[in-house]
Amino acid sequence: MRAKTDHEIRDPIHIFVHMNSDERRVLDSRPVQRLRHIHQLGMTNLIYPGATHSRFEHAIGTMEVASRIYDIVTDEKNRRSNFSISGTFDREYWKRVVRIAALLHDIGHPPFSHASEHLFKPEWDHERMTSEIIRSGCLDHLCKDLKVHVDDVALLAVGPGREKKGVVSNLKAILSEIVISDSFGADRIDYLLRDSYHSGVAYGRFDHYRLIETLRILPKEYEGSDEPALGVESGGLQSAEALLLARYFMFSQLYFHPIRRIYDIHLTDFLHAILPGGTFPTDIDEYICLTDNEIMTEMYRAYRDPEHPAHEHATRIMERKHFKMLYSRNPIDSAKAPEAGKAIFDAACDHFGKENVRYDIHVQKGSDVTFPVLEMDDRVLASRDISEVLGKLPVVKIETVYIEPGLEEDAKDWLHREQEGIIEAKVLRK
Amino acid sequence: MSIVSKEAIILKLVERLRHHGSWCGETHVQKGTYLLQEMMKVPIGFDFILYKHGPFSFDLKDELTEMRADFLLGWQERPDPYRDSLVVAPLGEGLLHMESSGVKRYEGQIEFIAEIINNKGIKDLEKIATAFYVRNTCGKISLDDQAKKLHEFKPHITEEEARQAVREIDGIVGTVSRMG
Repeated sequence: MRAKTDHEIRDPIHIFVHMNSDERRVLDSRPVQRLRHIHQLGMTNLIYPGATHSRFEHAIGTMEVASRIYDIVTDEKNRRSNFSISGTFDREYWKRVVRIAALLHDIGHPPFSHASEHLFKPEWDHERMTSEIIRSGCLDHLCKDLKVHVDDVALLAVGPGREKKGVVSNLKAILSEIVISDSFGADRIDYLLRDSYHSGVAYGRFDHYRLIETLRILPKEYEGSDEPALGVESGGLQSAEALLLARYFMFSQLYFHPIRRIYDIHLTDFLHAILPGGTFPTDIDEYICLTDNEIMTEMYRAYRDPEHPAHEHATRIMERKHFKMLYSRNPIDSAKAPEAGKAIFDAACDHFGKENVRYDIHVQKGSDVTFPVLEMDDRVLASRDISEVLGKLPVVKIETVYIEPGLEEDAKDWLHREQEGIIEAKVLRK
Repeated sequence: MSIVSKEAIILKLVERLRHHGSWCGETHVQKGTYLLQEMMKVPIGFDFILYKHGPFSFDLKDELTEMRADFLLGWQERPDPYRDSLVVAPLGEGLLHMESSGVKRYEGQIEFIAEIINNKGIKDLEKIATAFYVRNTCGKISLDDQAKKLHEFKPHITEEEARQAVREIDGIVGTVSRMG
């Protein structure tokens, strides 16, 4: 019997994902297998118990979605814009690159994904780590077997913004959009659907079948430019709106959930206490040995041992004694003083002691809602100009001050008395 | 440069672009900031690569998003056929006032760039910003070779359009060096 060359994987979102034997060798490599042990949503399962899924299944799902998008937008009958810089476009080569880049796009994530991102050394982040691992001995020979250039894979996996390479051709810009773009990247499509499915938060759903079928590479004629970008046929505009709304709701309801965020902070405190120098290693062999499992083992040890330097942080997580929310950003205070939250944090630290207060600030990045839309009469218009929805989508920003649970009542009384004065001192006046 | 100082310079650029009647979309701010930083040597400290419509900074894009979240910048809807426009929000005016002495130092440079780009459409912005990128990064090569390089980087810009853009930038750079 001949060895099987086409492999299929069952997936709760995309049902079946297919890959060939060369791709499967990449899937079986250490850096990709490691993702089985990295929770996609960090410690979110402490609030949404179903959210125990891993980066591994997201990586496979992203590869599948990227592949579907690629097939649609590079199909000759769907191509309206010549997006190749050199005139020749090797469709089979770039398909291999897109699929592998999508599979590898998250391999640099630290334990518990984004939750511990702050613990990289200066100049490092998970995207740089992804790029370094792709170029390392763990994967570069597998890329050679696949006949793909490792620099092409790295560029598409982390995007031109992270690679900081001087010149990005139109072709590579479009292909990186397919994997990780702000609007319709395969990464975004998969994580919204998958996180929604596992967490039980329905907001993340949208008609991705319709959206993918209608994606096109289009020139931005509405800007008087022929530069190509990833856009949609007019029939897909509502699906595109649904995706961007889904993202807005998922950020405001799930990813930025204040209790989820405080567990991230407690986890960061714990990791800071147990990692040598308080940061992740940058040696690749050392780094890929670190998964959620090693961290949880150490956390149990710290929890049981009152002498352990991270005992207090471990106990907060194990016994769910997280800090309580004292103040959260609101439009009224922010419209008076953008730094209101930071001012309250500083004042609370002065009053209650730094060790009893925590501060969290985060902005939803990549909120691009302008993309080309191909109208029935063959004009290309800007999504913002024809959608009643997109221009009104707010940017989600959170800013939260937390207090040690034993001080919660005192702190609330204190804030009630002092809040107005603290914010008034920071008001920007014309 | 502190984040607040950077934000004040961006706000001033938006204010001056609008004063000159510019549509003032995000591309105007991207290319204006690039020229301010690289041509006029205002030390704003963004990383630019050649990407969408020429030189593009992902950091600046994130900064503009954050400034909208902080109510420093806003979108102004405009009726057809005009496109939505970035405006300095009331809180942004407050920040500009607070940082007025720091911004004053760069007012001449900001005004110069606002005068050059305010009435340009996206394609023209892309052409001149990319032409300056080529001049700035490709070493000492002739104007003709600069045009060829521009066309190579951005094939949707014709060679003739590239030559015009390179000549325009050559004139602007000449003016800047005469200004000292």
